[in-house]
Amino acid sequence: MSSSQQSIEVRIEGYRDVWVYCEHEDGKLTRPTTEVIAGARKVADKVGMDVVGVLIGYNLGDLVREPIYYGADKVIYCDDPRLKDYQVLPYTTVLSDMVMQLKPWALLFVTSEIGKDLGPRVAYRTRTGLAADVIDLVVEDFVMNLPTGRYVYKDCIAQVRPDFATRIAKIFTPKHRPQISSVRPGNFTPLPRDESRRGEIVRWEPRFDEDDFQVEVLETVRVPKSEVKLEEAKVVISLGLGVLRDASGRPRNPREAYELAKQLADLIREKFGVETEIGASRALIYAELKELEGLITKDRQVGQTGKTIAPDVYIALGISGALQHRVGMQRSKKIIAVNVDPNAPIFQIAHYGYVGDLYEFLPKAIEILRSM
Amino acid sequence: MTKAVPARTTRVVTVGGVLRREEMDLVINPLDFKALQAADYAKRYNGGKLIAVSMGPDFKVKPLLSELYSHPIEGVDEAIVLSDRRMAGADTWATAYTLSLGVKKALDLNRGAVEEVLELVESGASGEKVLERARELYHANLLPNLVYTEKPGLPEGVVQRYAKGRATVEEVREALLKVRTELERFLIVAGLKTSDGETGSTGPQTAEALSDALGRKIPDITHVVDFEVDAESGTLVAVRKTGSYLQRLRSPLPCVITIMPDYRAGVTPVLRRKRAALYSYRGKVREVRVWNADDIGADPSKIGLAGSPTIVGPGIDIGGPPVQKFVGRTRVFTQRVEAFEFNGKTYGPFERFAKADDLPEELVRELEAKGLVKRFDLRDLLEEVFGGVLVAAKH
Repeated sequence: MSSSQQSIEVRIEGYRDVWVYCEHEDGKLTRPTTEVIAGARKVADKVGMDVVGVLIGYNLGDLVREPIYYGADKVIYCDDPRLKDYQVLPYTTVLSDMVMQLKPWALLFVTSEIGKDLGPRVAYRTRTGLAADVIDLVVEDFVMNLPTGRYVYKDCIAQVRPDFATRIAKIFTPKHRPQISSVRPGNFTPLPRDESRRGEIVRWEPRFDEDDFQVEVLETVRVPKSEVKLEEAKVVISLGLGVLRDASGRPRNPREAYELAKQLADLIREKFGVETEIGASRALIYAELKELEGLITKDRQVGQTGKTIAPDVYIALGISGALQHRVGMQRSKKIIAVNVDPNAPIFQIAHYGYVGDLYEFLPKAIEILRSM
Repeated sequence: MTKAVPARTTRVVTVGGVLRREEMDLVINPLDFKALQAADYAKRYNGGKLIAVSMGPDFKVKPLLSELYSHPIEGVDEAIVLSDRRMAGADTWATAYTLSLGVKKALDLNRGAVEEVLELVESGASGEKVLERARELYHANLLPNLVYTEKPGLPEGVVQRYAKGRATVEEVREALLKVRTELERFLIVAGLKTSDGETGSTGPQTAEALSDALGRKIPDITHVVDFEVDAESGTLVAVRKTGSYLQRLRSPLPCVITIMPDYRAGVTPVLRRKRAALYSYRGKVREVRVWNADDIGADPSKIGLAGSPTIVGPGIDIGGPPVQKFVGRTRVFTQRVEAFEFNGKTYGPFERFAKADDLPEELVRELEAKGLVKRFDLRDLLEEVFGGVLVAAKH
């Protein structure tokens, strides 16, 4: 027997609990934060650890209890006037100090502007790994076959994330702790809020360096909330540059395509009682067509630089399906692609294909659905 | 900072979870062009130089960086690729560490040139000797027009005037110290994320790594939608998105920013052009510098696979290409058909709308003749999609 077949069990000792960095806005935890608490609960229960909510800010008040109501066992909070607004340097200092002193086993962030800034910095400073955009967390052993033996790292978190077009990858941080992830919204269901839940609440006293406050917040402005709810819609009908011409090459009024798509969306909403929404490709939005002014707006963009969605049905009308678009919609349950070009890349990932133009597809589809 | 990413994600070569960049067609990460545009804007506003830094196998990355020199918009002056076998398989931690050392070396190189001239002048070297060295350094793209220039339309550099006795040692020193101060006020711009890793972590982690390398905390601002940077005062004012809010921040330089894809560079005010020209360099060093781990003084245990805390487990296929039906082309069953025998083989059972294309042609014809198989039409499509999925959703 060669020594390479020997199994060597490795356990990283001295680290406990699953921490969740809790984002809050206007005195409330954000919804994705409550989702991540549910995700943390899942792995913590598996390994018999606690879920700890970490809150940083100023005048937190009763907010410090909220993580417990949503399923955490414990809260550590840091309340300081200098932490009123999110700023990467002092927040990194506070959170890294907590991590280095209290040694959590895992630390989860929301995939958001803050989670994608603070998470990486804390991971770097505490010399550990970070898996971004995680969609699931599973506890499993990580096996590494080396010439010196078969190493089994016990009870690691497999941090599941999408990997290129049609694969998922499991990211492991076998030798370093905490295991840090940012979790994409929409993958865990928040636990019901329960005010009868109790848990320990601990205050953390921060220690800053002088150069933590180099950056000054000059102004904070609320972005007007968009009425477009692409992420929540069950059926999304998206338009691309195919609105410009029909199959014969004749120029068409894009407004007509929009009206037809809207008719179809309304019809589906009425008939099946589900939310529908109109989306668009980046190309169409950036074309800034006069006819679509105020209708096809930036908040409707689906794709890498727009929204990532996974509705039950996605209808791509006149969208060729560049990679940047596909990453934003390829997880849709049913994809219907309508395009005049049979070689358009969108057909590679579509469940249903219609080779033809949208000016022919839409009226026919509306007529058939009416009769159904 | 820019990265070479696979040109097509359908042809990705990985071995044990590590991308084999050397075996794939690579392109510049699409979102990095926004970063280049932003950096170019900062340069047009302030002068200075735009250096493209990348990590990856040099024979693949060099040609891509070379192309940047002839890119119509972006004024890339120099390109550096950090390339070493030991750097392969790096996660964002190890990448940030490596990049930060590359940045530090570039900074040292430029600062070294300025300090060399400063020492020459202060040691009382002849005007001719200072001039000669300054000319060499100017041609190596290491001194700005303010110090030495051969550009028509610009005033003579301070060293040139010094050599002719028209500038004092004090004036030369003042100019060189100003250039050195501004070298320390650099801006690092990165795209929001790459199209392969898609983590968006390398920007903020490079700021953290650079803090280690330079011994002081370097801030970062991610998701920047707009910014102005002023080398004169050494400040950056940036607008970034956080949740439902936009923050306007003022940061000292150096700072690392990541640029949102919808950023659009502004027009440089005419008033800034003269200053920008004086602080600019000869530009367009055609050759791409290649530095390995030893060149940048990297700790081998912190680079590449060895320095990466994360390990990518085996990828799992989820679905691959879906079962596809094309209107007017795909042949499908018109109703449920129980299992049956044909030419001694058993087929089925088949559900309504099951694809019949993969059955023997002879059999399909027979089924078609019986009306059990037909071409998939739009009504079938809508019925299958909305009849099943959504009626369930309604109840």
